[in-house]
Amino acid sequence: MASIEITSPHRPRTLPSLRQIAESAFPIIAIYFLMWVVYGLVEPSALSLYSIEALFNNSLPLMLAAAGATFVILQGGFDLSVAGVISLANVVVAVMPMEGPLGGVANLAMVVAIGLLVGAVNGFVVAYLRIQAIAATLATMIMCKGAALLILKAPGGFVSDFMAYELTASFFGIVPIAGVIAVAIMLFWAVFRSTNTGRSLIAVGQDENAAALSGIDVARTRFTSFLWAGAFYGAAGYMLAAQTSTGNPNGGDPFLLLSFAAVALGGTAFGGGRGGVTASLFGAATLMLMQKVLFAVGVSSFYTGVVQGAIMILAVLFSAFVLAVTRQRKSR
Amino acid sequence: MESHVLHTAALSKRYGATVALSDVSLGLAEGEVHAILGENGAGKSTLVKIMSGVVQPNSGEMTLAADTYRPQSILQARAQGVATAFQELSLIPNLTVGENLLLPRASKTAFWPESRSGILRRAAGLLSQWDISDITADAIVEDLSLAERQRIEIARALSHATRLLILDEPTAALPDPEWLFRQIKRLSSRGIAVMYISHRLGEVREICQRATVLRNGNSIDTVDLSGVDDDGIFSMMVGRSPDSAFVEPAEVPEDAQVILGVRNLNVGKVRSLDLALRAGEIVGVAALEGQGQQDLFQALGGVIKFESGEISVGGKAAELGSPRRAINAGAGIAFVPEERKTEGIFANLTAASNITLPKIDQAGQAGIVYSGLEKNFAADVVAKVALSPRYLDFKVGNLSGGNQQKVLLARALITGAKCLVLFDPARGVDVGTKQSIYAMMRDHVAAGGTVLFYSSELSELVHLSTRCLVIYDGQVVANVPRAQLTEERLLAAAHGHNQEMKIAV
Repeated sequence: MASIEITSPHRPRTLPSLRQIAESAFPIIAIYFLMWVVYGLVEPSALSLYSIEALFNNSLPLMLAAAGATFVILQGGFDLSVAGVISLANVVVAVMPMEGPLGGVANLAMVVAIGLLVGAVNGFVVAYLRIQAIAATLATMIMCKGAALLILKAPGGFVSDFMAYELTASFFGIVPIAGVIAVAIMLFWAVFRSTNTGRSLIAVGQDENAAALSGIDVARTRFTSFLWAGAFYGAAGYMLAAQTSTGNPNGGDPFLLLSFAAVALGGTAFGGGRGGVTASLFGAATLMLMQKVLFAVGVSSFYTGVVQGAIMILAVLFSAFVLAVTRQRKSR
Repeated sequence: MESHVLHTAALSKRYGATVALSDVSLGLAEGEVHAILGENGAGKSTLVKIMSGVVQPNSGEMTLAADTYRPQSILQARAQGVATAFQELSLIPNLTVGENLLLPRASKTAFWPESRSGILRRAAGLLSQWDISDITADAIVEDLSLAERQRIEIARALSHATRLLILDEPTAALPDPEWLFRQIKRLSSRGIAVMYISHRLGEVREICQRATVLRNGNSIDTVDLSGVDDDGIFSMMVGRSPDSAFVEPAEVPEDAQVILGVRNLNVGKVRSLDLALRAGEIVGVAALEGQGQQDLFQALGGVIKFESGEISVGGKAAELGSPRRAINAGAGIAFVPEERKTEGIFANLTAASNITLPKIDQAGQAGIVYSGLEKNFAADVVAKVALSPRYLDFKVGNLSGGNQQKVLLARALITGAKCLVLFDPARGVDVGTKQSIYAMMRDHVAAGGTVLFYSSELSELVHLSTRCLVIYDGQVVANVPRAQLTEERLLAAAHGHNQEMKIAV
């Protein structure tokens, strides 16, 4: 028996390849800043601190929700409970406002705990009982929405002054706190993705079988991803309360589809294994900024959805195109 | 009695109604390279999974260095010094070689990541420790060839094996086993046992001292390899004496009808390629790795579009461009791809459903597919590939590799295509399945069809082909007729200019 092979040494790479750039958060960051330029041109007042701050505050809940969803999607899962957890966290904060910074922290701890609890249920049912993620998280979403309605029948309640005014303001009058939170999450992700847990997440999403044979605890990795997601959804509900200064038992509903849209726009693959939280944060921010830009250019709000959807398709096509082009080059 | 590193007694494992292992007892001595031989489905994979902690046996005992050994996970097995290089390669495609080598704990610290350079340094240490100089630790695994990935998979197992190394078909994707054999010798000189699973008897004889033969989930016997010839081993594996593996192919008249004609084809690496397959011919393709053979086969199968050229099937010009068009083009072209796991099968459908898929409209009535009709419809081609009909109800994912390959070939046959385009159809399958595949190919051309096949095993090309094309750098550089067909001749033709090349015999 005989066979033959050519050896092809792989040289150390210095610059990231085109594919690596296309798969990073870079494209969506570029789109985001491009959109700011457009926005600034058509609406110069948009660049005032007040409107920047307002936009950041508007965007932060969706950014947090999308960040949470990314943890689950990266490992190849699916989580619908986002809408339920945000609603529940929103009303809990609104019926139990606690004053002062410490009260704000206490409120945050409460809703993050709720998120973790829901995440633990999701994670246990999906990872260990091996129930389909869509069914399991749909159930927890409905439960959370029901619980939110039990706590608060109709929009109402109020939040502490600390949350309503100080959390939505700017440090030293120039640095929007919402922006600081977003940057903090990006830094967190930059570290987290290189931890063993972060790598496991990507490995499980890429190839569950190979991950298991590499010694990764697949079930625990899945479980953990739902915990992270739940915590972020709780925080999203908290920031939604701060931004709207009120509780709404249906407040989380719009987030269900928008958070998936933000993740897709950021370029994270729904099949798992490729993408990241930073990309999703920018995806969410871009989605919100786009609404403003469309309004500023004078597009009727009825068309906003149409344009948003079209841009999403373009973004997904773009990443598919880059992938195809780089693959083809490789095969040459 | 020599001291055993690992000893198993009466291991058994059932998956539902299927008995994968019923009674396996064997002992691996210190520093021994021990082969496990058996046809596909004999239980080799299950045995590997049990020993490496992936699945737990239903009954039976294992002892490792005099202690009871019952690993519940891969990590537990590793912690006790047992490491495995899996046949289905367990590397994560979009992580670097270094990260993969160190998984699941690429970073030494739990909560704060270790620096990239630290990980690379440790991984580079492992690579050089195992004599891998042509792959860098920061290469992304998906950029590597199959052979390179296989070496990384093996290197990872080497670095964890302090008592027992399990190699499951390590050379299936590794054209040059010399590197592997050197590492195995290093390990066994330190008293580490190696369990070596391979279909290639030549290799097994070169590196192993003893072999245990499995058949139908039972360990038949453990033999000294120097004391038994190939026929003896083969009859232990199949429980009968071997048929002659190769039959001299029939002569094909010069004026036989051309079924597949290719003129001036350009696709991927392939440049201005001409080809004519006549009825009754089995045409082999020999090539070094990555000379454009994948592009050629995928273009003929309609998987990728070609840039320019003319293809005629059964005398009529054909636009390929999709597998469906290829099947429907004139006399039809049916393609069986290289990676059956990812490109071929629907693991969750039954074998019958997989086979009848191309002709699904004929497997039902009024648009509804009945499983009974499916089975009747499939029966004919199932017989041609010698697949036991009892497997028709099984999900394909539960079948052994050899039977999966038979299912794929049956699916190609059911299309009724006269031209079969097979990419390494007998790779990684056992001797019995190989013979069934060869017989199927010969029957197909005897019935007026034609076969184009690529093989990574030169002996297969030499024995099976009516003539053999050698592709180098996207072009046919030789058309070797039956009379001149030898491994040496093919090697010489496949050898281009100024190419660094390794030849393993």
